Amino acid sequence: MELIGLANYAIFMGILIGIYALLALGLNIQWGLTGLFNAGIAGFFAVGAYTSAILTSPHVVGRVGGFDLPIVVGWAGAIVFAGLIAWPIGKVCLRFRSDYLAIATIGVAEIIRLVIKSEDWLTGSSRGITAIPRPFGELDYVASQLAYLGLVIAAVAVVYFLVERQLKSPWGRMMRAIRDNEAAAAAMGKRIEARRLQAFMFGAAVMGLAGALFVHFNRSITPEAIDPMIATFLIWIMLILGGSGNNRGAILGAIVIWVVWSVSEMLTDRLPTDVALQAKYIRIFVVGLTLQLVLRFRPEGILPEERTRRTAR
Amino acid sequence: MSALLSMQAVRGGYGDADILQGVSITVASREIVVIVGPNGAGKSTAMKAVFGLLNVRGGKILFDGDDITGWVPNRIVKRGICYVPQVDNVFREMTVHENFEMGAFLRKGELGAAYDRVYALFPDLKAKRKALAGDLSGGQRQMVAMGRALMLDPKLLLLDEPTAGLSPKYMEQIFTITRDVRDSGVSIMLVEQHAKQALAFCDRGYVLATGANRHEGSGAALLADREVAQMFLGG
Amino acid sequence: MTLIDFINFHIVPGVVLGSIYAVGAIGITMVFGILRFAHLAHGDLATMGAFVALSAIGLFGVSPWIALPIAMIVCAAIAIGLDKTFYDYLRDRPKILTVMASLGVALMLRSLVQVIWGVDSTTYQRGIVRPDDYFGILLRDRELYTLLAVAAIVIGLETFLRKSKWGKAMRAMSDNPDLARLSGVDNRHVTMLTWAIVGALCAAAGFLLGLNNELNSMMGWHLLLPMFAAAILGGVGRVEGALLGGLIVGIAEELSVLILPGQYKAATAFVILLLILLVRPRGLLNGKVL
Repeated sequence: MELIGLANYAIFMGILIGIYALLALGLNIQWGLTGLFNAGIAGFFAVGAYTSAILTSPHVVGRVGGFDLPIVVGWAGAIVFAGLIAWPIGKVCLRFRSDYLAIATIGVAEIIRLVIKSEDWLTGSSRGITAIPRPFGELDYVASQLAYLGLVIAAVAVVYFLVERQLKSPWGRMMRAIRDNEAAAAAMGKRIEARRLQAFMFGAAVMGLAGALFVHFNRSITPEAIDPMIATFLIWIMLILGGSGNNRGAILGAIVIWVVWSVSEMLTDRLPTDVALQAKYIRIFVVGLTLQLVLRFRPEGILPEERTRRTAR
Repeated sequence: MSALLSMQAVRGGYGDADILQGVSITVASREIVVIVGPNGAGKSTAMKAVFGLLNVRGGKILFDGDDITGWVPNRIVKRGICYVPQVDNVFREMTVHENFEMGAFLRKGELGAAYDRVYALFPDLKAKRKALAGDLSGGQRQMVAMGRALMLDPKLLLLDEPTAGLSPKYMEQIFTITRDVRDSGVSIMLVEQHAKQALAFCDRGYVLATGANRHEGSGAALLADREVAQMFLGG
Repeated sequence: MTLIDFINFHIVPGVVLGSIYAVGAIGITMVFGILRFAHLAHGDLATMGAFVALSAIGLFGVSPWIALPIAMIVCAAIAIGLDKTFYDYLRDRPKILTVMASLGVALMLRSLVQVIWGVDSTTYQRGIVRPDDYFGILLRDRELYTLLAVAAIVIGLETFLRKSKWGKAMRAMSDNPDLARLSGVDNRHVTMLTWAIVGALCAAAGFLLGLNNELNSMMGWHLLLPMFAAAILGGVGRVEGALLGGLIVGIAEELSVLILPGQYKAATAFVILLLILLVRPRGLLNGKVL
């Protein structure tokens, strides 16, 4: 019995790791490849999640919905809409140094959170959206979990393959050379701006997909699902620790950080309640500290970025 | 009388490549020395070598009895050499007087005389004491830059193309002021594109080409030299 | 609604809030100008300041207004410590890494506050305070003191920057760091001084916010966007710009309820930020563009 429980837990973890890996890959497109500082990851995740939820969930009184569209449409909507939200932010901020983008993305994540909590007619605010259909949901528990895990792995693989191809292309090499050399970037002007915007939107779209995958796994979504700053920060740590600029690093970082995060949560949950609460915040403190340590002692991460022959730092 | 500044066969560059191929320049006290030459000759580079802004890989730089080869700029400033770069040489958001105050940042004691001296050299600026340096004309900004450097009471002033982009009127003024500065006891080393005018007013000059010495002599002698004239004094 | 009502319901709260934003924005603009990066831990440092003041009141039994200088000194020290531990070694690397580090520091400060003081809201004083009538304008005591405190801080800082030797050194470093170095200004001294002032300003902003609203562990984080919007609106690197920007953002937020539902007050700052970046990135008083 213990073993099956453990195996089930492993599959459950695997699905979540996959979703986080997707988020880390999306961030890698924005930060690792293009040098864009997105501090509002949770916002794009939420947009994808809610879009897919609204499009595919059944009708509920007082809320927009009941489209009952196929799951695939929901996911397509999530990808498109998350990418669209990135467009105005990118258009305004990408001309400047990434500091401004950082603040703007913090802002957009805040606004999205506000909208989700306030617009009852759209998002169900604190009640959220439930009864979201799940692919392979009709199968029995284990089979359904395994099938979903397969789905997530497939999604990660597809995105990984797409991004790797882009990285190795001349465009990818050029983007990395530009990322490291602001003077060259300034000289190239408008063309580069368009490419950076594309990278920003592409990364956002991947984050939206992650949101959709999460929501259909969970079958429901509420605003409290994830503390926006913790989630955003965890993904940053995953990428920096794993190795920014490196897709495999992103995935590795997701595995390492999520395992440590979950195990530490399990351990601290066993503590008496009042201490457990403190422990929660101590864990967050440690996350923040970990970033500083990685930045200081191993800024290239576990898997450093692969150097092509021509790119130089 | 030994030279105040003596560059002896200096070799070096910014990165790995050598721009200077063994340059030798001397400046005596109370002397205006001008460095001219075609583009890419290494004129500004030679000046930056004196101020510690270059990787010097060969030769020596002696100043006022010390070997200052390899010293950092901060230390060279304290030793008595001041450098006025070609651009970004004033605090644009600060007033003229505040620029001079920043020039005297390291100095202690009563500075009233020092301010008087600088305002005497640049009478135009006295009226504009409270104007922001960034709001002044190019020529006036150049004067603020020189004044700021002079507040440090240097023995040697390095001016990198002080008349670049200035009208003939300001050019004339800068040269006149430079002579006044020399007469007040400071030596000046100048890099100049306007070779003809520069050689006309200096004490001695050096012509550099491709990182090495080509000609040297008094300003008048160089002006009269046919080869020098051929090189680039045509206009 | 009459004019006097309009002033009392919208302008007065807007000016009070705006002056709090201004104090924070001044710190942000100083870090932008002198240290040249976006300090994302600014809000949470303000939170820390607010709670340190709370503890000072609890431990020493002093009035809140004595606790403020204590909190300012403590936060000045914390800020210097933060720099030496988490930002200093990144000095020669791309600035965006320092921004990243500051995001981590924000999280660390916030979680410290949560561990030490918990997540529940609290206040400095209890009870309802009635506003006083000043020729028709209604001001509570704490609002009046807030305005006076901000005025004192701004005047004090401006005087320091304009008249003192080290104030000028700071302005020189913001203006032209290479030339400042050549003039003998020690980068490290100016950096430490900047952080000390920034820490003190954060404490003041947090304290004033807590005084007029309430204290909770997220209060500073929610200040971040308006403070940055104010600093950029006024012009990065300009102290007067931060003051002006803060007041504008504060008043705009209070006026926004006339056209937007109340919960979207926070969106005002965001819209202002995007607009100013779109239309006039140098800000109203012509600051830097990073």
